[in-house]
Amino acid sequence: MLSGPEVQTRRQLLKTSAVGFGHVALSALLGRESAADQAQPSVSTGPLVPQLPQIAARAKRVVFLFMKGGPSHVDTFDPKPLLTRDNGKPLPFDLPRVTFAAQGNLLKSPWKFKRYGESGLPVSELFPHVAQHVDDLCMLRSVHGTNPAHGGALLKLHTGTDQFVRPSMGSWVIYGLGTENQNLPAFVTICPTLAHGGVNNWGSAFLPAHCQGTPIGNASLAAVNATVKHIRNDRISPLAQRRQLDLIREMNRDHLEVTGRDQALEGRLNSFELAFRMQSAMPEVQDLSGESAATQKLYGMDNAVTEDFGRQCLMARRFLERDVRFVQVTHSDSEVQWDQHSNLYHGHTKNASEVDKPIAGLLSDLKARGLLEDTLVLWGGEFGRTPTAQGTNGRDHNPHGFTMWMAGAGVKGGYAYGATDDYGYYAAENKMHVHDLHATLLHLLGLNHERLTFRYAGRDFRLTDVAGRVATDILA
Amino acid sequence: MPRPPFPPTTQSTFRLAGLALFACLATSACADDVVLDGAALEFFEKSVRPILVEHCYECHSAGEVNGGLRLDFRAGVMQGGDTGPSLVAGDPEKSLLIEAIRYKNRDLQMPPKNALSPVLVAVLENWVAMGAPDPRIEAVSNTETGPTGMSIDDGRKFWSFRPVANPAIPDVKEASWVKNPVDAFVLAQLEASGLRPAPAADKRTLIRRITYNLIGLPPTPEEVAAFLADESDEAFNKVMERLLQSPHYGVRWGRHWLDVARYADSNGLDENLAFGLAWRYRDYVVDAFNNDKPFDRFMVEQIAGDLLPEANQETKIATGFLVLGAKVLAEPDMEKLVMDTIDEQLDTTGKAFLGMTFGCVRCHDHKFDPLKQTDYYALAAIFKSTRTFADTKTGVIKHWHQHSFATEEDKARLKEIDAEIAKKKSAAASFKSKAIVKLRGEARAKATEYLVAATKFEPSAPLAMVEAIAAPLGLHPRILHHCRLHLEYNQDDPFFSQWHRLAAADDVDGIDKHFRTVFAEAETAYAAAQKMDPPQKTLTDARLKAARAAVHDLSGFLAVPPKVEFAFGAETLAEYYRLEDEARILESNAPDEPASMGVGEQTILSSLPIHIRGSHLNLGKPVTREFPEVMRTSTVRPVLPAGQSGRLELVRWMSSTQHPLSARVFVNRVWSWHFGRGIVGTTENFGRLGDRPSHPELLDWLAHRFMASGWSVKDQHRLILSSNTYQMASIHPAEKRHAVAATGPADVDPENLLLWKFRLQRLEAEQIRDSVLAVSDRLDTSIGGKTVPLRNRQFVFNHTSVDHTKYDSLRRAMYLPVIRNNLYSLFAQFDFPDPTMPTGHRASTVVAPQALLMMNSDLVMDSASSMASTLLERGMDDIERVEMAYERTVGRLPSEDEIQRAIAFIGELTSQSIGATGVDETGRQQAWAVFCQSLFASNEFIYVR
Repeated sequence: MLSGPEVQTRRQLLKTSAVGFGHVALSALLGRESAADQAQPSVSTGPLVPQLPQIAARAKRVVFLFMKGGPSHVDTFDPKPLLTRDNGKPLPFDLPRVTFAAQGNLLKSPWKFKRYGESGLPVSELFPHVAQHVDDLCMLRSVHGTNPAHGGALLKLHTGTDQFVRPSMGSWVIYGLGTENQNLPAFVTICPTLAHGGVNNWGSAFLPAHCQGTPIGNASLAAVNATVKHIRNDRISPLAQRRQLDLIREMNRDHLEVTGRDQALEGRLNSFELAFRMQSAMPEVQDLSGESAATQKLYGMDNAVTEDFGRQCLMARRFLERDVRFVQVTHSDSEVQWDQHSNLYHGHTKNASEVDKPIAGLLSDLKARGLLEDTLVLWGGEFGRTPTAQGTNGRDHNPHGFTMWMAGAGVKGGYAYGATDDYGYYAAENKMHVHDLHATLLHLLGLNHERLTFRYAGRDFRLTDVAGRVATDILA
Repeated sequence: MPRPPFPPTTQSTFRLAGLALFACLATSACADDVVLDGAALEFFEKSVRPILVEHCYECHSAGEVNGGLRLDFRAGVMQGGDTGPSLVAGDPEKSLLIEAIRYKNRDLQMPPKNALSPVLVAVLENWVAMGAPDPRIEAVSNTETGPTGMSIDDGRKFWSFRPVANPAIPDVKEASWVKNPVDAFVLAQLEASGLRPAPAADKRTLIRRITYNLIGLPPTPEEVAAFLADESDEAFNKVMERLLQSPHYGVRWGRHWLDVARYADSNGLDENLAFGLAWRYRDYVVDAFNNDKPFDRFMVEQIAGDLLPEANQETKIATGFLVLGAKVLAEPDMEKLVMDTIDEQLDTTGKAFLGMTFGCVRCHDHKFDPLKQTDYYALAAIFKSTRTFADTKTGVIKHWHQHSFATEEDKARLKEIDAEIAKKKSAAASFKSKAIVKLRGEARAKATEYLVAATKFEPSAPLAMVEAIAAPLGLHPRILHHCRLHLEYNQDDPFFSQWHRLAAADDVDGIDKHFRTVFAEAETAYAAAQKMDPPQKTLTDARLKAARAAVHDLSGFLAVPPKVEFAFGAETLAEYYRLEDEARILESNAPDEPASMGVGEQTILSSLPIHIRGSHLNLGKPVTREFPEVMRTSTVRPVLPAGQSGRLELVRWMSSTQHPLSARVFVNRVWSWHFGRGIVGTTENFGRLGDRPSHPELLDWLAHRFMASGWSVKDQHRLILSSNTYQMASIHPAEKRHAVAATGPADVDPENLLLWKFRLQRLEAEQIRDSVLAVSDRLDTSIGGKTVPLRNRQFVFNHTSVDHTKYDSLRRAMYLPVIRNNLYSLFAQFDFPDPTMPTGHRASTVVAPQALLMMNSDLVMDSASSMASTLLERGMDDIERVEMAYERTVGRLPSEDEIQRAIAFIGELTSQSIGATGVDETGRQQAWAVFCQSLFASNEFIYVR
């Protein structure tokens, strides 16, 4: 199509006419369909990635189960016997220089831990279903960030910085790998929260627009009502709209006669076709009615407590199955879900009961379908909670050490990486900064975090800025 | 474990050798030829070197020099990194290296991932105490040296730091093409490359181009007709002057400046509070462009309008420029927040006015440009003496600084309004708490019933089942569900042991009897205790005490769900929401204090320490307030006032005609907003990593002339717009022939940097929206005022994600709210710039969601429908209707073929809705609407030639 002299550089192309949702569409524009159709579509053929090194990719796609508000690690996946023993005593070492709220004495976990699986990793009573999968989980017990407030911590976790507006990790992944599904966005985020960084948490900032996440609903909506903006047209029939697109196509072809060939103009022609396909593809993914009763039950959709998050998780699986590259699922209600400054027992019980079964269902389902082999599952919140009490029965924000876990493609199962101190306040062993988490995630996807760069405003930017180390110990 | 017990340093047998070494190392002269004592050498090789290699070299050696520190040779260790020498030989207590490995200082812990074991820490302590004997004299060469910035001297020779020249107008061969000097510069370069300019664009194209360019709207068919009819030489100039005098010129060009000023109506970042007063800055900018405020003055007012001797409301509003940035308002560390904010201000000011990326210099000298960390902190000292935050805050959320214009009466009135809002808010809150108290009371009254009902299902039972059990008993299903879970999770609680025992034995009556009795006894006992003199607050009987505690525990087995949706029944919930909404709406519509965002002055600092690696916890040597060295126009240094921040002096220097950058940067912006690309493509970066100017002489000539005109922006427009360069066609006759042997211009200059034709430009987000409304007669063209539907500092979203911001206003897009973190979807899809970073050149992407928006959004469909109705209401035939639709939307008449195609299309769509009664008028209207919408979606509508 465009073999003439106006073929621009890759960078210009990205800046001006990144068509559709990703590089396959872009390849088509460049007349490289044949290359893109070959067996290795993800790493080497698209114009998005020619200069990236070939690390063997272990994961092809990611699902991030984001628990907004900050689940407590010492009550879920990081048991601390000394915390139980020293309940009510003061923390025997210094508090951080800056804390979010006033801190009380040590508060033991109200939940018991039990060992599960062959690995014998402990999980608390809050996650009895997830515990059944413990041999597939890779606990990251030494994650730490810097910002003790929700907004800053969300931004840090999602974009690597709490100070500037930067591309989100999902966008970087799309920038690096493109997409393999032409009818769906490469990066979707289901019921995301609009507070605390909002759109920046899935935005593409200065990366090309096709890298941005497509929100499906938001946290104030039930999953069943979550849709993509402008995906439906209730005024005219699909038939009439098809005719309309044909008319637009004819108009645009005439226009091209006047202007001469132009990449953006030709790209726009195709974007309408993509949009038209997406109109039918998107509702089809979101329609869960075709899933068997057994599957729906697996995700807890038969139970009022688990129905909403179960629906999100099942939708996520349907996106993953269709090779959507990055899927985020957010557990957040109209409050700050996991933020138990008080009533830890009540709040965490409720929260965990909403997500435990659906997450376990997702893991089982991905495994049964063989998707877990090349899908990376990431679970966690923007921070953990303090082992010290806030008030009588709550815990404060703790970005200094907390647990996230991974499962699936390329990571060791039944493995615990890193540790916090005896009480769970600070990350202490094999500390894994958020930048390290990002570096590791990119590595698993076959991307070198130091070379995945984008030149903007005179500087090469990275998701990991000037930091980040791959936690090689967790690689299977 | 994190905190190894720190063993006292054992002064070992190496002590004597160590002391000797200490004496030697203290003078660098003898350091290189020292002969190490054998035991010391052995100790180093056996114990110290392995630690350094294994735990330190990864980040602190030739390969990677983090923090400027190398630990792979002796001088590197002694010299240290950014924070200074890593150790004091002989004194572990004063050695940073030891402090770091002891892991006691949270801000200085090494190695970063894992603390060394106490044994290893002790080894290094010993080593330092010994005087740090170290045989590693030779530095391993650093193979991968990163980029280093230019020296100041080299910098002064770099094109953008050289003084603005006044180049001679070049001679050209085809002199007849030159209408003004702009053409001469452009043509000279084209001729040098063997290229010829494209012919002039036709008049329809021209009026569409200049109208969009100057006011952001399409020309009306009448304006097009008038221009076509005017055959005088002055026809184009008349259109230009008309547009420059239009108040909508300021709307369009003010918006350009707002891109640079990263304007927004909310803070974004962590706490998204409404900038309810930002509109005053927006109005200021629109007025400035409409009144052709000299640009140097415009600069001065935005940076230091509060410090001008003649400071007034307008100049104070202008300083909003410095406050509009996104700030981490809930950052608990105030010092960090202040330094982060200064960084944002410096970066914005640098990019907006000087084309410099100062943000890069916060942590280290610039890697590419001649900017040093001293330059950064010399400027930061000025900004740290500037007040950006008020003393007040709401909870943890800091307030930005404002200039108040309120009278005493205003203040009194505002107090009343605040009180009204507070009253409404507390009405909602108190309704909620009363309703919860009521629920609690009801639950407590039926405590036994809950425990009995809890025997009827398993903890994993679905809520529907629990509801079925709860309803006939008058119990709250979620409390009941929780009650069952509570029992499950608290099996150890002795108070409930009876429940578990009896439940296991299926003895429901037993449970009823047991708990009813104990609760009743507890209440009786409590009532009795209350009557005693003095009244007893607690019961002495442990069993009864436990019973009362269980019932009254807010998070106990009768806990009410904290979420109102779960706690309240439909009616209560509706009432609560109504009260909350009432408070919110009252607040949204309440008047703000007459005030503007803007900076003031703070305690004046004459100097500020360098923040090593950008950290406010790691301070280096102080630097005095100053201007960046490479841009200084005189060796005589200015004296900054002791009683003022120095902002006024800074901006007077920036806006002086000697400054190498300010005029260049702005004329380049103007050029870019006319041609779709600047003479320097990177409008925010005139440094080494930025583009070089495509027409360096032209840039200087323009900058010179700009200053000579008294920094008049409108004069600059007149010059550029009346050039032949601006009026070229967007297609070149030689292009089509390139398939034949001859090389076309695209082979010589594929990116059209030399301007052999006019650049095709996609409409920007606002232009697309405004055009759709304008051609369908829906656009409200009023200008100015507050439009964000939120009170100043009101949350856009608090913890809920409900979006109350609406974008259905029909005013120009300039006046739609710019909500950070949640941009209007049309803006977001059509490359509206991120409103947290200065942007001089917008991207122009093509993505499928844009198509969805054109196909399915209410905005587009409502407008198409409205236009269809207008067409149908006119007394004309279908051919005339099609003609009118084309003229309105794309500024030309349709061809015969296009008319036939349109009529056939409309006929086909109408016939689809033909019923038994004949043609359905609604169907016909809808078919026309679909046709009009197709025109909106067409490339011809969206792209300006």
